[in-house]
Amino acid sequence: MSALDLLAEREDMISPGISACVGCNVELTLRTVMKVLGPNSILAIPPGCMGGVGVVGWNKQSGAKVPVFFPLLDNTASMLAGIRLALDAKGRDAHVVAFAGDGATVDAGFQALSGVAERGDRIIYICYDNEGYMNTGYQRSSSTSKGSWTSTTPVSKEGQGGKRQHGKDFPMIMAMHDVPYVATASPAYIPDLVRKVEEAMKVKEGLAYIHVYNPCLTGWGIRAEESISVARLAVKTRFFPLYEARNRKFKITVPVPNPLPLEDYTSRIKKFSHLGPERIAELKDLAEERYRFLEAVSAGGGGRA
Amino acid sequence: MSTVAVMNGNYAAATAARLARPEVIAAYPITPQTPVVEYLTLFAAEGSLSSRMTEVESEHSAMSILSGASLAGARCYTATSSQGLALMYEPYFRASTLRLPIVMNIVNREMISPQSVWGGPQDSLTLRDAGWIQIYVEDNQEILDQTIQAFRIAEDPRVLLPINVCYDGFYLSHMTERVEVPEQAEIDAFLPPYEAKHQILDPRKPMAIDPLTSGYLVMEYRKKHMDSMAAALGVVEETDKAYAALTGRSWGGALDLYRMEDAEYAVVTLGSVTGACREMVDEKRAAGVRIGLVKVRCLRPFPKAAVAAALARVKGFGVIDRNVSFGWNTGIVYQEVRSALYESGRTLPSVPFVGGLGGEDITLGLVSKAFDEIVAAVDAGRTPQSAVWLWAPRKGVKA
Amino acid sequence: MSTLEKDYVCPVGEGIYAANTGDWRTQRPEIDQEKCSRCGTCLLYCPTNSVRRVEGRFVIDLGYCKGCAVCAAECPKQCIAMIREGRK
Ligand code: SF4
Ligand code: SF4
Repeated sequence: MSALDLLAEREDMISPGISACVGCNVELTLRTVMKVLGPNSILAIPPGCMGGVGVVGWNKQSGAKVPVFFPLLDNTASMLAGIRLALDAKGRDAHVVAFAGDGATVDAGFQALSGVAERGDRIIYICYDNEGYMNTGYQRSSSTSKGSWTSTTPVSKEGQGGKRQHGKDFPMIMAMHDVPYVATASPAYIPDLVRKVEEAMKVKEGLAYIHVYNPCLTGWGIRAEESISVARLAVKTRFFPLYEARNRKFKITVPVPNPLPLEDYTSRIKKFSHLGPERIAELKDLAEERYRFLEAVSAGGGGRA
Repeated sequence: MSTVAVMNGNYAAATAARLARPEVIAAYPITPQTPVVEYLTLFAAEGSLSSRMTEVESEHSAMSILSGASLAGARCYTATSSQGLALMYEPYFRASTLRLPIVMNIVNREMISPQSVWGGPQDSLTLRDAGWIQIYVEDNQEILDQTIQAFRIAEDPRVLLPINVCYDGFYLSHMTERVEVPEQAEIDAFLPPYEAKHQILDPRKPMAIDPLTSGYLVMEYRKKHMDSMAAALGVVEETDKAYAALTGRSWGGALDLYRMEDAEYAVVTLGSVTGACREMVDEKRAAGVRIGLVKVRCLRPFPKAAVAAALARVKGFGVIDRNVSFGWNTGIVYQEVRSALYESGRTLPSVPFVGGLGGEDITLGLVSKAFDEIVAAVDAGRTPQSAVWLWAPRKGVKA
Repeated sequence: MSTLEKDYVCPVGEGIYAANTGDWRTQRPEIDQEKCSRCGTCLLYCPTNSVRRVEGRFVIDLGYCKGCAVCAAECPKQCIAMIREGRK
């Protein structure tokens, strides 16, 4: 089934009205992912944007058509591992799924996620990485790109400041856990995302982890209608490459043989607007290094052919 | 038909857990609880444990895994101590407010610092207001019996709360005693399978667990939680009776009284120090002192009416706390008992003892001194304003 | 009985809560069906799942559409116009 057929025909598992910002590509990612996973799923939404906008519901009503709950910020993977054990004990099966922000994944939730990866608990973990704590007004996380303005890495009138460190290469860290499936994805490549969720569903033992890069309109300063085009530029500039890894066998799924200049991407984003050419060059160098590394570890040179 | 075995407290706990047939166990080793985890993994390796057992990377994840499993309808068990409990605090509190009937033994150990791995209930007592039922026991038989009962209490539809059965590290966890172990079939009849009816994560019945909730509803859920806590007192008593009918052993429910019928003085205890105090009651009685013992089993819910009734005719009492309540300058149980008495309108002379911290032995000699102090203070109508420290003189330590 | 009146022991939600996000809209998308190539890009990228495929045609269900204009920006035929909503 083509991605279009699937998305046109499947039921939306999320409430039709959730209060995500106008144009939010995380909302798109969540609806897409849950259409692919379908009704036989149990969904964890830790504190973060998607919890805040009502996906777990409000008072005595739900925000989803599948069982959904709030784990704590730091125990999403563990709670899901427990649900899997309970299902196993009862001889039942369902997709046990996290849809968690980078704060709940890369920062506070890392220990629990790493534990699940090591033990081989069978869950599907999807991280929507918008590079920070957006739901509380955009504070920096360890996923935030170097140079970014955030509310905790402010920028002076003279353009000094911003985050001093590069973000963690988190999907690579997860891939190095030797888990059955790790992938990166983008809301600008929906058919690629759909296929990767389908791959994750096929994993019968262990963790499937998908890291989605979601430029945040409100926090980063992006026009609503550019929600998807900016996400696409992150891929086309090699800033966020799309790949998958099965037990450390890598494959670039959207090769970028001729990257666009990184400025095409950064210039659309207000949080980078104070960065001069030198600081942009630093981001570009990192992106190139990470891409080359990916090519080197990918089978057949990362599908460059 | 039961079998008789000699076992340490940790083995008694693990044996009780096995008999209760939890569907999911997640645990992380920590002194002095570690052997519980080892015994359970051994049972699993032998094939005598029916549970899904997982060895986690931290206590935080142990409680988190059980929270997930319980939300999906599984009967759950774990055990921890001290720093492990402290690390667990976040999912611990939430397990009660989500009304998850998880059973957890706490092998009581002092909180650091100073760096100490020895006994003392400071760990669980500090968390007494986190919404769990907490029951404290005195010997290994009681560990086994109460841990089995804990599942039935927790899962009772009138209760639906998580429960701790707490026992002293080393004094009980590593000390061997004679323990009667009931037959599996008896326990199966006593403890039918758990069925989550109040909430469930199940695609066949989609619901949201813990949506964003406005203040008035938060208050409503808190009130229900408190009502269930109150109801738990009755369920603890009922369960004790049902278990006694099965095994012949009753532990007294929320409170256990010893020679209180005609007592003029009382000593209030919690945990393994009770044994020494019971002996000393006999000794002092033989010497003509009418003293009795009130053992607090259920710390949460606190059996305030029963405590007031138990102390209704004494002239005064003392409480032996192996923990402290910073800011009150006494132990924690002392404050609980005093609050319970306030309602009865009686102001009694009372002595707040603190001793046995960090596993320090409360010897019979110290207990004897404490009893004498109770009699002296009560006869003089005196209530010390801060803790009377129970310790033996040591070189370099001011007693 | 509405789930809102149900008496739960613990925080549970049943039935769907939906914010009326259609109310947020300041502009609405309109597809020029003459120019439309039926590629479905708008359906793939609409964040609110407001685009439907009906007998091969793509139409917008304005109920919860937030008027973000992502569909218009992504449409390869540029055949989606954003029309300002009148005052409500
Ligand atoms: S304007 Fe936005 S919400 Fe409305 S149909 Fe287009 S993409 Fe969807
Ligand atoms: S994206 Fe444009 S051309 Fe494609 S189906 Fe939608 S309206 Fe038609």
